[in-house]
Amino acid sequence: MPKSGVISILQGVEGLPIIVVFALLLALFMYTAPTVFLQPFIYTTFLSTLPPLILLAIGLTFVIGAGEIDLCFPAIIAFSGFVFAVLFKEYNLGWIAVAAGLASGVLVGFVNGVLVAKIGIPSFMATLATQFFWTGMATVLSGGKSYALREAEQSSVWQWIVGRPFAGSQTAWLAQMPMQALWTTIIVLFLWLILTRHRFGEHVLFIGDSNEVSRVVGIDVDREKIKLFTLMGFLAACAAIMLTLENKNFFGNQGQGYLLTAIASVLIGGTSIFGGRATIIGTVFGCFIIGMIEAGLVATGLTGAWVRTVQGLIFLISIIFYLYADEPQRRRTFFARFGRFQGFGRVQSVE
Amino acid sequence: MKRSKILMAGVAVAALFAGFGAALAADPIGKGITMYMQMGGTAGDGSTLARQTGATEAAAALGVDLKAQFSAWTPETMINQFKEAVAAKPSCIEIMGHPGDVAFHDLVKAAVDEGIVVTDGNAPLSSLQKEFGSKGFGYAGVDLYAGGTLTANAMLAQGLKKGDEAVVWGIFSQAERGQSEKGLADTLEKAGLKVDRLEIPQEVNSDPSLGVPTFAAYIQAHPNLKAIGLQHGNVTGVMSDALKKAGKKPGEIIVGGIDLAPSTIAGLKSGYVSATLDQLLYLQGFIPVVQCVMSAKYKMPGLTLNTGAGTVNPQTIGGLVDLIDKGIR
Repeated sequence: MPKSGVISILQGVEGLPIIVVFALLLALFMYTAPTVFLQPFIYTTFLSTLPPLILLAIGLTFVIGAGEIDLCFPAIIAFSGFVFAVLFKEYNLGWIAVAAGLASGVLVGFVNGVLVAKIGIPSFMATLATQFFWTGMATVLSGGKSYALREAEQSSVWQWIVGRPFAGSQTAWLAQMPMQALWTTIIVLFLWLILTRHRFGEHVLFIGDSNEVSRVVGIDVDREKIKLFTLMGFLAACAAIMLTLENKNFFGNQGQGYLLTAIASVLIGGTSIFGGRATIIGTVFGCFIIGMIEAGLVATGLTGAWVRTVQGLIFLISIIFYLYADEPQRRRTFFARFGRFQGFGRVQSVE
Repeated sequence: MKRSKILMAGVAVAALFAGFGAALAADPIGKGITMYMQMGGTAGDGSTLARQTGATEAAAALGVDLKAQFSAWTPETMINQFKEAVAAKPSCIEIMGHPGDVAFHDLVKAAVDEGIVVTDGNAPLSSLQKEFGSKGFGYAGVDLYAGGTLTANAMLAQGLKKGDEAVVWGIFSQAERGQSEKGLADTLEKAGLKVDRLEIPQEVNSDPSLGVPTFAAYIQAHPNLKAIGLQHGNVTGVMSDALKKAGKKPGEIIVGGIDLAPSTIAGLKSGYVSATLDQLLYLQGFIPVVQCVMSAKYKMPGLTLNTGAGTVNPQTIGGLVDLIDKGIR
């Protein structure tokens, strides 16, 4: 196969640069901490801790792909988590508590969409304001208290959402496989299809390219944006319920740690901050990179104090890698400075 | 005879040196033990540094391979870090008690069932200690309610009286962790003070400097405020700044805090901080490592060490400054 053919096939693989970064990082940790990363348990652990981050990041992939931003989702994790926890614990409402938690997230997301699409407030400001509002509401309503969900694992809600279906297995790592990994996989696949195969996904990326052109070609931009923020609210509520059930606790400040990590996962994954380009596969691998760094560094022997530094470094490397892998013009100019590799990439020559 | 005595003495000295040599050559008692340890906040902050130092020195002395984790005091992160630690199958894990008994119970049980020694620091997990104490689950930290009481009594000793207004800023929302603030507020109330209990939000919990404007505004809005109670090391550190910004002079408001962060020393020296509970963070780092080795190697049960032994005030801080600068006190 000609060299250019291989390159074009590789360039057709969604999220390839970030998959390469992920593979390199994983290989590094397998080398530096083999007792941890060559065993299955750390991976089953990630499958129980990463689903909330993945759900949030997938929702953000749509939002950022449309050229918008949502800063409200940590507040939805607190607010929907509170709605779910109080109904589940105080009123013993089980699945109704789940429905109410999801509905509260959808409602907050819908309101965000209306503020952005109909009122015309820039999404950064609108969702920043609603983040403060709903976080405050969660604190006021809960009185700042945590709710411990004692005996939660006895309920069908817990079993179905975050249970361990193979708990009786003799294989230790299989016994730890969590249900939330299955639900998250289904949601990710469904939303990947929506983004890449459905009209809604096409509209999102079109809007990300240009609101005006989207309107000209007949896309109802306002409606699509409201759908977008509502979807984000729904996914944040899913994350809230998973988190609350997995921890068997509602913490009054839960969700606050996800803001920057979720945004970083999306951008590391290759979704453009300017909109118009989004990749679900890239985002999922971005989440795994973000989630893996601390465990990898600590197992390697570095103190946890290094985590942020290395996260920042990998963030930069990934973005640079993406820029040069995905944009032949930029790559061509870069290599031309060194006077060689002029035939590398899709574009053959340098002027 | 004389020669034989000299010969015997020589043999004895040689044997002694040989013994020392063997002792020196022997592996340290904790060799082969890996321990994951949650340090609390962020690396080097005033509420974490001495714990790090204590743990690092204990690990070095005992030959333990120590893996430090930092959570910025976020309960969800503490839980996730515990799961990651369990996945690495170490000999021991030290957790922070902030997420509470219910959140940790099944995870700790699974870890103990796998033969991992789990122990606790900084905030107690009483029911877990009862259940897994025989497997090495100990506690190194302040008896929180008693620590709060101790701080309150130190404040009362500085001239507070019945009817005075006071505020206690704390983490009341975390049931076990909040016992410290509760003890402080309860004791002031029992002494007849009017106490306002206010929750510290998560942003301020992680980065107390964000709370300075709020604290300053509250102080200005309550001109009759006579006392401020704190059981958060980093918030204690920024309180002098808040008082200055509110236009208060040193000693005008009695401030009872916790820990000996470098910024708290400045507060004590200037007189803005009246008393601070010394919870001996170094020992909160050192003892869990010892606990780990004792339990993992010699099957010893969990021990409880109350590290809240006393308070430091402007008169007693002088002799401690060097040690605080070294991250020991």
